[in-house]
Amino acid sequence: MKYAIETHDLVKVYDNGFKAVDNLNLFIEDKTIGGILGPNGAGKTTTIKMLTCLNEVTSGTAIVAGFNVEKNPDEVRNRIGMVPQLISLYKDLTVRENIELCADFYNIDTKTKDQKIDDLMELVDIKYAENKFISELSGGMQQKTSVVASLVHNPELLFLDEPTVGLDPTTKKTLWQLMEDLNNQGRTIILCSHDMYEVDRICDSINIIDGGKVVANDTPQGLKDQLMKNKEEYNNNIRNLILELEKENDINNQEEISHLKASLTDEDEKVTVMVSNISEEMINSLNELDVVKNVVHNGKGRLSIDLKRSETSVNYVITSILNNGGNIASIKTNDPTLEDVFVAITAKKRKEVKK
Amino acid sequence: MESAKFKWMIKKDLLTLWRHKIQFASLILFPIVMIALCGWGMGGTVENTPVVIVKQTSGDITDQVINTIKSDETFDVIDIMSEPDEAKQMVDKGEIKAAIILSKNFEDNNTRNAVLYIDSSDQLTTQTLVPKTEQIFAMLSETISLNQVSAEPQGNALTQTAQAIKLQVNKIYGQIDYIDFLLPGVLAMTMFMSSMFSMGNAIAGERERGELARLFMTPTSISTVLSGKIVSNLIKEMMRAVILILSAVILFNVVINGNFLLLLLVMLLSALCFVGFGMMFSATSKTQEDYIQVVMPVAMPMMFVCGVFFPTETMPWILQKIAYFLPLTYANDAFRGVMLQGAGLEAIGIDLLVLLGFTILFFGVGVARFNRQI
Repeated sequence: MKYAIETHDLVKVYDNGFKAVDNLNLFIEDKTIGGILGPNGAGKTTTIKMLTCLNEVTSGTAIVAGFNVEKNPDEVRNRIGMVPQLISLYKDLTVRENIELCADFYNIDTKTKDQKIDDLMELVDIKYAENKFISELSGGMQQKTSVVASLVHNPELLFLDEPTVGLDPTTKKTLWQLMEDLNNQGRTIILCSHDMYEVDRICDSINIIDGGKVVANDTPQGLKDQLMKNKEEYNNNIRNLILELEKENDINNQEEISHLKASLTDEDEKVTVMVSNISEEMINSLNELDVVKNVVHNGKGRLSIDLKRSETSVNYVITSILNNGGNIASIKTNDPTLEDVFVAITAKKRKEVKK
Repeated sequence: MESAKFKWMIKKDLLTLWRHKIQFASLILFPIVMIALCGWGMGGTVENTPVVIVKQTSGDITDQVINTIKSDETFDVIDIMSEPDEAKQMVDKGEIKAAIILSKNFEDNNTRNAVLYIDSSDQLTTQTLVPKTEQIFAMLSETISLNQVSAEPQGNALTQTAQAIKLQVNKIYGQIDYIDFLLPGVLAMTMFMSSMFSMGNAIAGERERGELARLFMTPTSISTVLSGKIVSNLIKEMMRAVILILSAVILFNVVINGNFLLLLLVMLLSALCFVGFGMMFSATSKTQEDYIQVVMPVAMPMMFVCGVFFPTETMPWILQKIAYFLPLTYANDAFRGVMLQGAGLEAIGIDLLVLLGFTILFFGVGVARFNRQI
């Protein structure tokens, strides 16, 4: 297997003695979209800085695009692009001038430079704004310019650090599509983000970093499956998470929460149904079902139903609601999300650190 | 409720200050340094001005003159010589501020002449030295006349009194206005301050805004990035300096006595030196705020110590010695030399060499401290 990034016992200790990265072993397959997740202060940014030759390595090795970042930094720089979180473009230069500056810093052939810049601007739809100053652009437009500036030398590997923070959903989707397109063209994409939906949606693999180490590594679905398989290990976190969600759904009655907590077992599943025409009969009917353990009417057309886990239990619930004149607007099962995985894994790490 | 919010606003700022040790140290040291320098530099008097006395004859009156000048704190008589031309050369070269030349017939009652040959490019010293010398000679004249009246009660004492000592003041650069005196210093200071802030923005500012990170992600050497920044700042400083000079010439009829090309050379070397100074301090500053806090306590006092507004002679000896170690002193001196005295390359050669030395030192340290770490 060819890796775009591999680190072996990578360590970074700052001058003040703080160890930001602690024997990190990170592997991201070539031509994939790899996500790097981690709580604040986990060492993600320092890791990215070492991988992009912006920070010196204290010990260990880091190979990026086949080159050692310490021994061949310029080879690495020629093969990587970086879209930083902070829009680091010159505000008083135009879009085109910023991109041209980057092109010249990457020694792009002057004969092909203009055409390349035009093509990239067309790709992200900012050609029409090429003569506008960066300071005149929206956040989304600035980020698109940043992407073009990072792609101007046709890098094999593109790092994106929180690229969609503060962007509207439409611009986010455009950037996600762009990342997928770039990946389909054969580039490796490294995405550092706190947006779990974003990572879940576009990443092929995920590395969760905490305390300067990789604490989990799999595909998004693989991580969720691991969470379910290792329920015993993460059980408390899952159950707490369910109760947290319930609090958000306006359950203020502490007795009810305690009761719910006591009634849940590892085999339980929770379904939240948005339904109109809720009636007493409908709730009674649901409670009579064998698969249902508890039904809570949260108001505003929301029913929270604790089920015994089985493949057909949700079908029984739907049938019962429809038979009682309800119109279902949405059904949400409580299968773990990537956010659950993140919370569970990082909470486990916190507990270990506290011990 | 409002008072709690108000208290928090104050508490937050004070806690921030206390926890940011560089800012806190700067807060304490900066005012102390500034008031000390203002007191010594701006509020001081001209003392110990280096002069020579040319003694071409011997006698009681001559000795009396020499002793009186020597005992006055305004003067520091570094030599008593016999050759007027040699003394004048020393003034011309800037080795001393003035030569007091007593005539060959100084002991002759009818022809007691003296010449104060003074470097008028140093306006404050001239303003102090001329009246002081006149005062001393007037006092001595009075004493001599009184002695003569007592010695020769029947003689023509009134005529002798009037002719006791005749002092001629010879200002070698003519009458210098304050604007003429100030312009070279202001030019040096403007270039220094603007270079400092420009480099702070160019390096610490760009580092803070992430712009440097983008450049350092590319296969580009530190020297390319730095030299580009240096040249662009040099161009800006040269433009600023030329505009300043032209404004002074147009608005205040300031006359540049020296060679304009030599002036450009001084400007170029000074700008390079000051840009190097800014680069040295900004090389490791993570933010512009950090840079300013570090550089201000060093830079601001330089304006007072280096003789921009007031001659270094008015300062305590320790500050005069410190001035020798600061580049602004030499830039200031070179600018004054060319612009006021019409000095040539030979006369300001030492200044230029020292500036070059500082430039090499600043760039050496700056480049050594600079790294790509973001």
